[in-house]
Amino acid sequence: MPKENIRIRGFLVIIISFCILIISSSVTAQVGGSVDNGGDGNTILVVLFIIPFLLFGGLMTLYGIIYSIAYTPIFIWGLVFSSSNLDDMIKQTVERETKTFTLLGKDPLSTLDGGYRDDVSSSGIVWAGAVYGPSHWHLLIGFLNNVLGGSIDIFQKVISAGRAESMQRLREQAIREGWDEVINVRIDTSALAPAASKGLRAVEVFAYGTGIKYD
Amino acid sequence: MANVVEGIMVVNTETIPGKVIIESYGVVSGSTVRAKNIGRDITQALKNIVGGELHKYTELLEESRQEAMQRMVSDAMARGANAVVNIRFATSAVTPGAAELFAYGTAVKVE
Repeated sequence: MPKENIRIRGFLVIIISFCILIISSSVTAQVGGSVDNGGDGNTILVVLFIIPFLLFGGLMTLYGIIYSIAYTPIFIWGLVFSSSNLDDMIKQTVERETKTFTLLGKDPLSTLDGGYRDDVSSSGIVWAGAVYGPSHWHLLIGFLNNVLGGSIDIFQKVISAGRAESMQRLREQAIREGWDEVINVRIDTSALAPAASKGLRAVEVFAYGTGIKYD
Repeated sequence: MANVVEGIMVVNTETIPGKVIIESYGVVSGSTVRAKNIGRDITQALKNIVGGELHKYTELLEESRQEAMQRMVSDAMARGANAVVNIRFATSAVTPGAAELFAYGTAVKVE
């Protein structure tokens, strides 16, 4: 099936490039053949080839201008609110954790492979993830810390908030899917690829395990 | 259960609790590279300035993992397996704005 798709796409690309070749050669033939006819062929050339590029370039330029104007107010907003937002986030995660623990009487997650009871009726993979990033104000603090040396507490705080959040999501997901316990939990952290030249600084925390259900 | 895809059990433990493995069919894998549209990239870049969670990227990775898992499971089905054990996930950044999600495991038959 995928091979067929690739073939069809290949044919499409070839057909489109042939069309472009034919159109452009006819346009140049027109321009060359009828010099006294005026700029008719040139207009087609402009409409077909130059305007899409101009449009895209214009949009990107507009985005750049908007980004540079909006950056300062958003940065100040982050300076004022990002630390309290982070604390709120941590508090909410801890509240949900406590709720789950009181509901089940224990932590449903464990990193053990084995040690479970024998009467397992079914099992399956369960996962949850979250993408977290420090604000640019935090990045600045981190940069200053980096210059002075020592531990960079602010990044540690952001990443552990993300980790706690994705583990809590794993618990909630397991409860939603009806598993009694989640064994062999693994936590994976990876840096997200920067999406723009400005750079997107975020980590993805991803937790997965095997949910098991007892009879 | 929700994650037992099309009759194939997928776990990340070495054995399936309560079942016996009778045959192994080797490593099966599935991968996918996906990206959000440029509008989402722009809004998420702005959101990144104030920090916190980037929901659209969380969503993107969730969808991508689902797709990679589906591909892995259809590979296992093609080999005649009825379970995939010991699966692992890996992530790599191919190009700015896109991530490759890769899932692999061992296809087995259980009774």
